[in-house]
Formats: sequence, C-alpha cells, structure tokens
Amino acid sequence: MPTQSDDKRQAAREVIDILHEISTLLNTNLDRTDLSLCVSLIENGVNPDALATIIKDLRREDTAISRTVADHEFAK
Amino acid sequence: MSARQSTRPRRIEDALSQLVDNLTHRFSFAAAEDDLSDDEYEALALRQQDNLDRSWRLLDAYTNSNNDPTSPNGGQGLGVTRRGSLAGGENINNASDLIKRKLLRENASPDKAVRFSNLYSRLLTQPVLSQKWAILYLLYRLSTPDDYDEGFEEDGVARSPPVEPANLQNILLKGQRRQGMGPRMAENSDEEGPAISSSVSQLPARLERKASQRRPEREVEGDPELELAREHQRSRKMSDAAPRDPQTEGQGVVQFQLESDNQEQLPQPAEPGLLRDLPFNLQGLSSSNLEFSSSVTLKLPPTLPIPLMSLLNALAEPCLLYKGLSAFVDSASGGLLNQSLRAALSNELRSYLGLVATLEGEIRRALAAPENSNDPKSAAKTGVTLKRCVVWTRDATMALRLMSLIVEEAQNKKGGQLISMIHGFSTSHGDPFVCTLAEKLLAHVTRPFYDMLRQWIYDGELSDPYKEFFVVEPELSPSTDPRRIATSVWEDKYKLDDDTVPSIITQDFAKKVFLIGKSLNFIRYGCGDSAWVEAYSKETSKELRYGDTASLETSIDEAYKTTMARLIYLMDEKFKLFDHLRALKKYLLLGQGDFIALLMESLASNLDRPANSQYRHTLTAQLEHAIRASNAQYDSPDVLRRLDARMLELSHGEIGWDCFTLEYKIDAPVDVVITPWGSTQYLKVFNFLWRVKRVEFALGSTWRRCMTGARGVLGSVDDKVGSDWKRARCAIAEMIHFVCQLQYYILFEVIEASWDQLQASISKPGCTLDDLIEAHTKYLNSITHKGLLGSASSSKGASNKHQEESFLSQLHQILKIMLAYKDAVDGLYSFSVAEFTRRQELSAKIETRTAQGRWGVTERDFISSRRPHGHKSSVSSLSTPNIGATADDIGTPSSLVNHDLSADDHMLGSLRVRLRDLSAEFKSRLNILLGDLAYQPDVDMRFLGVVMNFNDVYEPVRKRRATTSSRDKERLRRKAAAAGGSAENSAQRKDKRDTSGAESAGN
Repeated sequence: MPTQSDDKRQAAREVIDILHEISTLLNTNLDRTDLSLCVSLIENGVNPDALATIIKDLRREDTAISRTVADHEFAK
Repeated sequence: MSARQSTRPRRIEDALSQLVDNLTHRFSFAAAEDDLSDDEYEALALRQQDNLDRSWRLLDAYTNSNNDPTSPNGGQGLGVTRRGSLAGGENINNASDLIKRKLLRENASPDKAVRFSNLYSRLLTQPVLSQKWAILYLLYRLSTPDDYDEGFEEDGVARSPPVEPANLQNILLKGQRRQGMGPRMAENSDEEGPAISSSVSQLPARLERKASQRRPEREVEGDPELELAREHQRSRKMSDAAPRDPQTEGQGVVQFQLESDNQEQLPQPAEPGLLRDLPFNLQGLSSSNLEFSSSVTLKLPPTLPIPLMSLLNALAEPCLLYKGLSAFVDSASGGLLNQSLRAALSNELRSYLGLVATLEGEIRRALAAPENSNDPKSAAKTGVTLKRCVVWTRDATMALRLMSLIVEEAQNKKGGQLISMIHGFSTSHGDPFVCTLAEKLLAHVTRPFYDMLRQWIYDGELSDPYKEFFVVEPELSPSTDPRRIATSVWEDKYKLDDDTVPSIITQDFAKKVFLIGKSLNFIRYGCGDSAWVEAYSKETSKELRYGDTASLETSIDEAYKTTMARLIYLMDEKFKLFDHLRALKKYLLLGQGDFIALLMESLASNLDRPANSQYRHTLTAQLEHAIRASNAQYDSPDVLRRLDARMLELSHGEIGWDCFTLEYKIDAPVDVVITPWGSTQYLKVFNFLWRVKRVEFALGSTWRRCMTGARGVLGSVDDKVGSDWKRARCAIAEMIHFVCQLQYYILFEVIEASWDQLQASISKPGCTLDDLIEAHTKYLNSITHKGLLGSASSSKGASNKHQEESFLSQLHQILKIMLAYKDAVDGLYSFSVAEFTRRQELSAKIETRTAQGRWGVTERDFISSRRPHGHKSSVSSLSTPNIGATADDIGTPSSLVNHDLSADDHMLGSLRVRLRDLSAEFKSRLNILLGDLAYQPDVDMRFLGVVMNFNDVYEPVRKRRATTSSRDKERLRRKAAAAGGSAENSAQRKDKRDTSGAESAGN
C-alpha cells in the first residue's frame, strides 16, 4: 500500500516535472507550486479558460499593486 | 456569497485561495520587508480578498454559461479577454497543436517545438492526469512571448501604437455585444464598411469620403511639403512588375519623415484595418484601402508610412498574381493540354485559397484579441502583423509567380511545346521549389498527353482534336493523285512533327512511338487485321503516367517489339512479301534463265516486226508458253498470275524489241515496300537487261550460223570472203565477250550481291517495316547504280552532266553498234551464200557445156562482163582509193563469169567498209567506256572494267574535258583508221596470196 502511494507520488512528480518544463518553454511564469495547484484545480473540473483568466487577472492586479507600492516608496 | 461557497468543492477552494495567495504574495512579501504602514497592509489584504472573490465570480460565470453575454468584467476595461467561442470549440483537443504552432511561430529554430513534442509524448504516457488537454490549454493561454516580460513589467500604456482606435473598432464591429464602447465607434463609423467590402459600387464613394475627411485634418499641419508629398503619393500606383522604382523610393523618404512627425494625429488606414482586408485583397478583391484599378494595377492608400508601404508592395504581388491567374483559370479556350494546365493551376490556387483562409482565421483571432487599449501588447502577442503575413505568403507568392510565368509562356504554345516548357522549368531550374512545383504541375498537365499516347501506341488511333500530339495527320491536298494516296498509307498518312515532341521523351523515343502507332494503324487499315489490333490493345493496354519513365520505356519497347513482329509476320505470311521479292528477282531481273531464254526464243521472230504490229494476245500466249515449258511452272500460281507481258508506250518506227516489257503486278499492302517508284526501277533494269540479253541472243545466233556455215557454204567461198569472215568472227567474239562480261557483272556482281545484302538485312531479328522499305530501296539503288544505270548523273557534277555521256547511253550506243554489226555480218553471210550459189551455177553451166561438148568457159563470157565492171571500178577507184576494190579488180577471175558481178563486188566493198567502221567504232567506244570505268569510285564498277580488259587488249581512254575529249576522239579515230588500214593491208596481202593460190589451182 505504501509502495503504491509512493508510486503515485513519483508519477505525480514526474508529471509536474514535464509540465514545468513545458511551462518554462512557454514562458508562463508559473513556478512548481503554482503549477501543481493549477493541475489540482483543473483535475477537479475547473475550466482552464477561466483559470487562465483568473491568473492573468491576478497578475495584472499584482502589477498594479506593486506599482502603487513603488510609487509610494518613491513618494516617500 | 457564502452560500455559493458552500456548494463548491473544498479542494478547489483550498487550491484557489492558495493560488491567489501565491500569486499576490510575491509583492506582499516584498512589501512586508519594507516597512509598510498598517492601513496599507490592510488594503493589501482587502484587495486579496477582493481578488479571491472576483476569481470565484469568474469561475462561476464560466461554469454557468460560456456564452453569457454580459461578462462580469464587462465595463471595467480590465483586459480580461474571454474567448469562450474559441475555447469551447475545436481548440480543446488540439491544445498541443496550438502550442506547437505557437512555438514554431515565435522561434526561428524548431528546437523548442521539438522539445515540446518530446515532452508531450512523455506526458501522454503518464496515467495520472485525466485532463491533459486542459492543463496544456491553460499553459498555452498563460504563455507569453519572450520579449513580453519586460513590456509587462514596465508601463503598458506609454507605447500605444497608432493602430489603436481602428483596432478597437474592428472588435466592436465583430462583437456587437460589447456595447460599452459605443461612443468611440460612432466617432469613426463612416470609415468602416462591413468586413466584406467587395462591392464595387459603394467603393469609390467611400474612398472619396475618406479622402475628403482626411484632408482637412492633415491640412491643419499647414505644411506645404506635406501637401506635395501627398499628391505624389496619391498618384502612385503599384504594379507587381515594378514594385518599387527609385522615384517612389525618394518620395517615400519624404513621406516617412512626415509620418514619423505626425503619426499620432493622422487618421490613416491602420495596420489592423489593412490586415482585416488582406484576405480579400489576396483573393483579388478590392477593399476599402486597396483597390484594383485594373487587372494589373493595385492602388495603395496614399497616406501610409513607408515601411507599411513596402510591406503592402510585397503583399500586392500575390494579390495581382492571383487575380491574373484566376482570370486565366476561368477562361475557356485552347486544347486539351491547355485545359489540363488550367485544372492543375486551379488546384494550386485552391491550396493558395486554403492558405488565405487560415490567414484570415489568424487575423480575425488576432484582431479579436486586444479588446483593451491599456493592453497594447495584445496585437504583438497574438502575432499577426502585416510583416508576418508577408512572410507567410512568401512561398505562396513564389508559387503564384511561377504559375503566372508559365501561363504567360503558355500563351502561344500548344501541345508538346507546352509540356516542354513546363518540363524545362522542372529540369533546368536551380531552385528546388520551382522544380517541385513544375513537377507537380506536369503530373496533371501531361495526363491528356499520355492518354493520347496510350491510344496511339495501343490502338493505333490518333485522337487529337486540337492537334497537340506529335504525330499529325497531314491535310491531303486535293491536287494529289488519289491512287498515290491509296498506296502511300504507310509513308504519308501520318507525319512526325518534330516541333511538338515534348522534351519529356527523347527524339528516338518519339520515333519509336510514331512507328508503333503507324504500324498498328497500318495493320488495321492496310492489312485488314483489326481483330488482332483490338485483341492486342485489350491485352496490353495500360495506363501511362508522367513520372515513371522506366516503366513507360519498357512498355513502349514491348509494344514496339510486338507490333513490329506482327507486321513482319503479316507481310511474310499473309502478303508473301518475300515471295514477291524473289519473283521479281527471278523474272524481272532475269534470274530464271531457262524461262527468259525460252521467252526470248519464242518471241524473237515476233519482236523483229515493227512495234505497232505487236498484239497483246500473242505476247501473253508466248509468255504462257514460256512459263509452261520452263521451271517457272512450279512457282506458285499467285506469283505467276501477277506476271504479265505488254508493250510500252508505242513510239513510231520502233520494232517490237524496244517496246516489249514484262510486268509484275503489285497491289496493296505490299506496295508499301515495293513502291511505284520501285516498280519503275525494276522495269528500267528489266528493259536494260532485256536489251543486253537480246544482243547476246542475236550475236549468239549469228555466231552459230557462221560456225555452221563455215563447215559448208562459207568454206567454199573462203577464197573470196574468207578474210572478211575471219575479221568478223574476231569482232563478234569480242562483242560476245563484252556482252558476257556485262551480263555476268550485272547478274552476279550486282544483283546477286545486293540480293544477299537485302536478305541479310530483312532476316535480321527486330526488323521493322521501315527497315524493310529502306533495305529494299537500297537494294534497288545499288542495282540501278552499279548496273551502270543512271550512275553518271549521280556520281558526276551537274556541269559535266551534259558533256559526259551517261554509262547507260554509252552502253546503249555500244549495243546498237553490235546490232548493226550483226546486221552487217548477216549481210556478209547472205553475200557469201549468193557467191556460193553463183559458183554452183557457174560450175553447173561449165559442166553442162562440157557435157554438150563445148568449152566450159568462153572468151565471150569474159568480155560481156568485163566492160561494165572496168568502168565501174574506175569510178569507184576515183571516188574511194580503195585498195580492196583494186584488189578485187585484179584477182578472182573465176567470178568474172557472172554478169552482175560488178554490183556484187560493190556490195561486198560497202559491206567491208561498214564492218570495218563498226568494229572500229565499237573499239573506240569500248575504250572510252573502260576509261570511264577505271576511274569510278565504286569498286565493283572498276572491277567490270578490269574483267572486260583482263589482258590489256584495249587501251582505256580517259575523257577529262570536252576539248581534250574531242582531241582524244580525233586521235582515237586516226589510230583506229591506221589500225583498220594496216589490217586492210595485211588482209590484202593475204588476199593476194589466196588469189594466187586459187589461180594456180585453177590453172
């Protein structure tokens, strides 16, 4: 039983490895954690289109925040 | 919100919040390191919660309905592009394809794509994931081009390209549901027609309006230089033949500077607009910006920056080429090959249209993508620009260019020339692209050609409605003799047209093909064996295609062999060609000796009469007789049936000998080999041989008579004409020798040798009908040439032709002399007989007188005959100082008894003169002939000369020029006269001796 779960983990790691490589090929700017989260989300039936939109949205938000932060610092 | 949250699976919730945290905390941590104020931190947390909520809303929206018209982020302009239609459709399953294509598009080298393929195949083997496409699709959506990162990091708004307004507008027009953009759309609405703007009627008006709208805005600048430049630009037309000339380049520089200054303010057809119209332009349709002013010119909008201009120039080429090509494809004229070319081209154009369609798809997607003006990179991200389009269409442009080149060159070419032209492209062009394209076209274009070829080599039928094949049926001119047409089925029915032999087959090959078809046709129509042809074509017919040259060659070789073998077989077995040839040789070339001898013997008395007293029935009766009595009777009745004796065209004053001829009737299809020309050659040779034979026959009969006479009659008059006979016998022996040698030469050295060659060449394996005809012609030629017939004209220059007598006429002269000599000898014979009778009478008289008791010879007898004779002899001695005559005077007292002795003496004298002259002329002519023969280029003819003069009895005389020739003749005559004189002298001496001997005997 433990060997089976080990196997599973091993397989999952391999999949994540592959996906990570692809994502670096594609310049997605996702790290391994992000990637595994995304995988689990999608495996649970989340629409990939929607997920992509969310991620982009969040990133944009992020940039905005960072800019405001930077502006703030600059102002200081 | 909480209610909704409860329905969500926990795992998703966890993961999502974690993800949100992860993504946003990067900056939070960064911020935390610095000292942030509390409220700022609060705001951050709040924002995070906000983000999470919004994410959930998005997710819900997707799960509820993909096609929800009111997007939750609708009016906010946050740049969240939702492309449900794309995601929901066919793109699901080829996420990997999408990625691959993207990688290929964005990277020069295919390394990354290859790497991706490897990774993808590895991923497919993994059993863990159930939604592989989904994760891949997510990655695809998240992917950004390399250079995008920096742009993303820094300010997105600052680099707003000039394309923006029109760009947005396009999206608005396409997606009606985005109503939030209303006001901006209204602003520019008059510039935008519907996407399909091909209707010509509304086009000028719109352009006009555009121009007028643009002008005031530009004139605001107030720059006169600008105005000038714009005028230039407006008049600028673009054609693919000369995309850029130096003049426009110069103007472009000015324009470019202006544009860079005024870029922001000038409303101009922007790249997205051009992009959107591009698919239509590429199909040869006018659009709002690009207008086809004629079939070969494309008007570009006058207000573009020079880089765009040059891009459009490049893009205009395929547009114009396509327009021209589609016009050609739609036209309907020309032959089968032209039609097939058109079909092949339309095939190519279809693939071009496929490219345009995918291009349009890309463009549409690209234009639909950037919804937000704050996201300037969208256009770049989706990767469709005019520049890209140029690159994508480059291959297609090459193909179009080549095709239009082919079309242009095909204008006045047809049939094989067309194929040769395209084949030239495929074989003698260094560009592999051109080669492959031309090769592809050839496969289609040559199909009708190969159909024709197949029909020709398997059925022997020419089905060529447009005269494109390299075998043509020459039009029959009405002036041609219809009988001649009937007999020249083989030679003239079809012709090989060298000009239209396509370069895909060699000249040799074409000849073979031509021969095959011709033979089949001939077998079918000339030999009436269409059953075999049909069976053959059913059995062997197979499809011929362009490309597999080897199999084509083998099949043609096979067809060639089969057809030729069949044809020869038919000729031999059914039409007995070889039997006919043999019969011709036997009867017309006098090969059957017993038959000819018999015929001549039986006809001799008949033919001595004048030509107009010859009757056909007697001739045929004699012919029948000759056949029945000779070995010819064992020949096949078919051959004998064809043998016929007739008279040639009668001309006045000729005797039967001159006109008689044997004929061998030849009918179709054997007359293909033994042509009418060949028949006349045979007749010519026969007539010549017949004449020689006749002379031989005449000389032979004379010889026989004088041999038999020598034992009886002639022996008793030996004292008077013995020396004449001796000389005559010498001359006749010479002549017989000459005739024998001539006959031997013609029959054995010429005819038999040529026949042997003919046999050898027609019994060769793989002999064709053409070979047969050629061999037979050669056979006849060698016979007529070597047989001294017509050789002079062929071997000597035209200038000498008139001066030099041909061999034939020389021989005819000699033969005529022989006949005349024979007549003279006959005269001598009859004189001798008369003399003999006289002597008999005299001796009988003497006997009776003696019996009566009187003197046998009285004085009175001498005197009565003496006077007139003396008178006569004095006259004759005055006129011709003839030694012989005086000798006559002195001697032969025994002849004096006869009262008509003087007349007889005179006759004998003239006979002697005649005989002497004739033999001298014979010798001189023979010398000339031998002289000519000695300098013949042909070995056999030189050999004839040697055979005739084997012991150097004759002195061959070489006639070189007319002057020397006459001198030679003069000398020759003198020499001959001297020889004759000396002979005469010696004869006289001998005579004297004889007479004295006789006198002593008498006494």
